[in-house]
Amino acid sequence: MKTKDALEIIDGGWVKKKKGFRVHFQKMVNAELITDYVPPQEVKPLDSDVVAWRLAWKLSESTKTDGPEIRDGDLINIYVVDEEGNPVNYYATNQPEIFNARDVEQR
Amino acid sequence: MEQDILEFAKFQEVVQLYGFNLLLSLAMLVVGLIIAKYCHKYFKILFRKFIVNEALVATIANIGSILIVVFVVAVSLQHAGMHTIVIRRIIIAITLALIGVIIVFRPLIPSLPFKVGQVVKAGNLLGKVEGTSLINTRLRTFDGKTFFVPNSKIINDIVQNYHFTGTRRIKLNVGIRYDQDLMKAKQVLEAIMVEDPRVNVNPRPAVWVLNLTNGCVELGGRCWVDNPKYWKTRCELLEKIKLRFDAEGIVIAHPQRDVHIYYENASQNPSGEAVSIFEQNANDPEMAT
Repeated sequence: MKTKDALEIIDGGWVKKKKGFRVHFQKMVNAELITDYVPPQEVKPLDSDVVAWRLAWKLSESTKTDGPEIRDGDLINIYVVDEEGNPVNYYATNQPEIFNARDVEQR
Repeated sequence: MEQDILEFAKFQEVVQLYGFNLLLSLAMLVVGLIIAKYCHKYFKILFRKFIVNEALVATIANIGSILIVVFVVAVSLQHAGMHTIVIRRIIIAITLALIGVIIVFRPLIPSLPFKVGQVVKAGNLLGKVEGTSLINTRLRTFDGKTFFVPNSKIINDIVQNYHFTGTRRIKLNVGIRYDQDLMKAKQVLEAIMVEDPRVNVNPRPAVWVLNLTNGCVELGGRCWVDNPKYWKTRCELLEKIKLRFDAEGIVIAHPQRDVHIYYENASQNPSGEAVSIFEQNANDPEMAT
């Protein structure tokens, strides 16, 4: 195997380079839970996961509520996804992280 | 005396005939030049919305304002009584003369090693070039100050142009303690660089053991990024390194010194062994390196 081929295997199988990041969140609109992204999917994604996670945290802090019910305007299940919509690990811990996490399935 | 009176009467006649027109054309010229100046400013604001290249914006704005000035001068001269054909000839003559001077003397004119909109370091000043003239260069530093640097000083000084090459290397030097897992630290450091979308695939990011110093194993991460993204990427990679090393349990070294105290007689220390005291010594220049 040539070195070039080995490097291709490494690129495909080791650490994946993401192309961009979006902040995923859900919000209640007219009693219906809607999934949305910042920036929207039709716009170029952010090139920094640090910026995306910071944005996610600020969004969660700005819309955090104490009660269990989800009200209009609340943003829940905020986390960062890559360009394909797959959740991205929190860069500080390298573990999955969700801000304002709510178990929507059980509701 | 009579001659003087005649000349004065003639002057009076000329003023009565053309004076109002001359004043009006002078006023038109002044107002036109002021408008040209404001147009130059607003052209820049307008074209910045459509064109990213700052040098191109400045060139278009300059051409626009020059055309306005030429138009204003021509209209003023025409209003003052000069024939259109004469004005046209003057404009053509001046234009041709300027083009000739530029073509002939261009090799002799020293050129500045940057363009408008580029980030440069000239002497001790690091900032963005906002504009250049024949006399000086307007440089805006990142803390918002505007400096007018004489071109002669720039030409005779060392200038770093951060836009001359498309990419730039980021140096990430991290020291870990001797008792830490070196291979794990190398792997984490390389993974942090590889997974960042702004870090170029070629040349590949690499991690080296740079030094075995008195206080730490010094690792050097090297990766390449596009020039405009250098600063932000470097800061964020450093942040990630600190946090990820913490999460992985890799301890970053800080200047330290082990002090061993030996007691002369056993009564002071029954075990008779050396006592190690761990203390920080940040002021020691040897340890700080």
